[in-house]
Amino acid sequence: MAVTAGSSPTDAAPVRPQRSWLSQYSWLGMGFAFTLSVFYLVMFVVPFGTAIWLSFHNWDYIQRPVFVNTRNFAKLLGDAGFWDALWTTVQFSVVEIFVALSLALLLALALSHLRPVYQYTLLAIYNLPVIMPGVVSVLLWKWLYRTNGGAFNAVLASLGLPEQPFSRSPDQALWCITLMVVWIFLGNSSIVLLAAINEVPDSLLEAAQLDGASAWKRFTAVTLPLIQPAMAYQVVTSIIGTMQMFEPFQLMPGPGHSTRTLSLYTYQLGFEVLNLGYGAAVSIAMFVILLSATLFELQRRRRSWDY
Amino acid sequence: MTATTTAVSRLSTPYWQRTRWQTWLLIAILIGGGVLMLYPFAWLVLSAFKLPADIIRIPPTLWPETWSLEAFQVVLSHKIGGGSLARSYLNSIFVTITTVIAVLITSTLGGYCFARLRFPLREPLFYFVLSTTMVPFLTLLIPLYVVMDRLELLNTLWVLIVPSVFSSFGIFLCRQFVYGIPVELYDAAKIDGAGDFTIYTRIIVGMMKPVISVLAIFSFRATFNDYLWPLVTITDGGNYTLPLALRGIGNSFGWFDYSKVMASSLLTLIPPLIVFFIFQRNLVKGIALTGIKG
Repeated sequence: MAVTAGSSPTDAAPVRPQRSWLSQYSWLGMGFAFTLSVFYLVMFVVPFGTAIWLSFHNWDYIQRPVFVNTRNFAKLLGDAGFWDALWTTVQFSVVEIFVALSLALLLALALSHLRPVYQYTLLAIYNLPVIMPGVVSVLLWKWLYRTNGGAFNAVLASLGLPEQPFSRSPDQALWCITLMVVWIFLGNSSIVLLAAINEVPDSLLEAAQLDGASAWKRFTAVTLPLIQPAMAYQVVTSIIGTMQMFEPFQLMPGPGHSTRTLSLYTYQLGFEVLNLGYGAAVSIAMFVILLSATLFELQRRRRSWDY
Repeated sequence: MTATTTAVSRLSTPYWQRTRWQTWLLIAILIGGGVLMLYPFAWLVLSAFKLPADIIRIPPTLWPETWSLEAFQVVLSHKIGGGSLARSYLNSIFVTITTVIAVLITSTLGGYCFARLRFPLREPLFYFVLSTTMVPFLTLLIPLYVVMDRLELLNTLWVLIVPSVFSSFGIFLCRQFVYGIPVELYDAAKIDGAGDFTIYTRIIVGMMKPVISVLAIFSFRATFNDYLWPLVTITDGGNYTLPLALRGIGNSFGWFDYSKVMASSLLTLIPPLIVFFIFQRNLVKGIALTGIKG
């Protein structure tokens, strides 16, 4: 039990009467900690424990759960639906992050040459889709992608290009969703990268210029290494965000299972076919995959900027 | 060259001399980006005022031939599974305001407690709270639904509020911020005889204004836009929030009536737009501060 108070005024106070161990603690702190513990117990520990427990059972929500040992996980390994969903999720996640980050970097670099007033005004425009509910974006884009008289096909036609099936084609549906998600989060990523670029000291860039470095060289040798932490942060939050994304896949699905991701698969197992045990097993697998991907990315990035 | 220390804008001290075509390239990228971002949005706004005859035109036209409020009148009187768009509006506003206030209180208080007050298991508890953010919501979705069923909260508005009352991210953000407030302020108030709670209400909350506005926006956005959790827990149309109502409207009006879907989308966007324009600067600062996505 700690007796010395870290930074509280009791250090400086003169001799105090001996008091019980409880009195060194704050009542407010203990009250808060208790409330918080109860909340997290009910809203996190119990559900998370139940998820693990359920993954070893079969349950249809009506009859009693039946213990099936690791059969759900064995099933998962041989389930084409699971591997398809995982592959779809990974494709979507990797392409979205690559495209969004490249475009955001381009925008942020261009923005960094403007006065703050213009930066804010343009960012407000780029950021508009971020504040919209996902459902609004999906309803809008679904309509723009329409095959018969949709706005995007009209643009293609006016450029003399052939009409595209977009969401109706199993080959294009996933990329239609990806493009929309890039549109939604582009402003968000630009802001993070712009903030990092604005932090790059002018003196370094001027020194590089005096040494005769070209604009491209200054970007790759000075700016890019210095904004690595912001890029890493953006990649990690994007992995978490894209892997869990749900609305577009449920509301703007492609034909068949062409756009069924892990999140949609979990939802369908749990709330449509009521196979809750197996759904829990898939969601646990998703947790493990997400955790590994995040830790892997952090580790990789950390090694690359430790110099 | 006069060097300004605040490296906010590069224009005051250009580190590379732009040639004319480079300047044009810059402007082209920024304006092109802006147009691409606004183009889908323009369809949303303008189509809400179109008549059905305008909506089904092939090839489609962006600008309405005749401006009409018909779509708004139709969706406002449209019934959605025992509820209505107006009803969902009230539900969404109630749920969002309650959640945002709750999150602001628990996060600021939590940040203060974890950073300044002494209580048993303080550090383990904090790292536990932080670690919960690593678990995806989808892993908790099915069991959390079961918990809510047991608590008999399903199909009420409370089921949308209760699980969000504490925010791990908010507590983390506020704790970092409170660490930045000089500890002398806390000690001085303590010597003057102020209790922990008085210090919180009189000193800490006032100093946390920047982080509070950031947190309010994120919390607003997350709650107002939430779709998956309400989809699972709310089945009664009278308790629908706006995203669910929109989904209903999207299902009941086809391509020929899409002005109705766009009109209700536009109505839905009013509260976020108001919040957005009031807090735009804070939003920019906040995203730069936290880099949060979604």
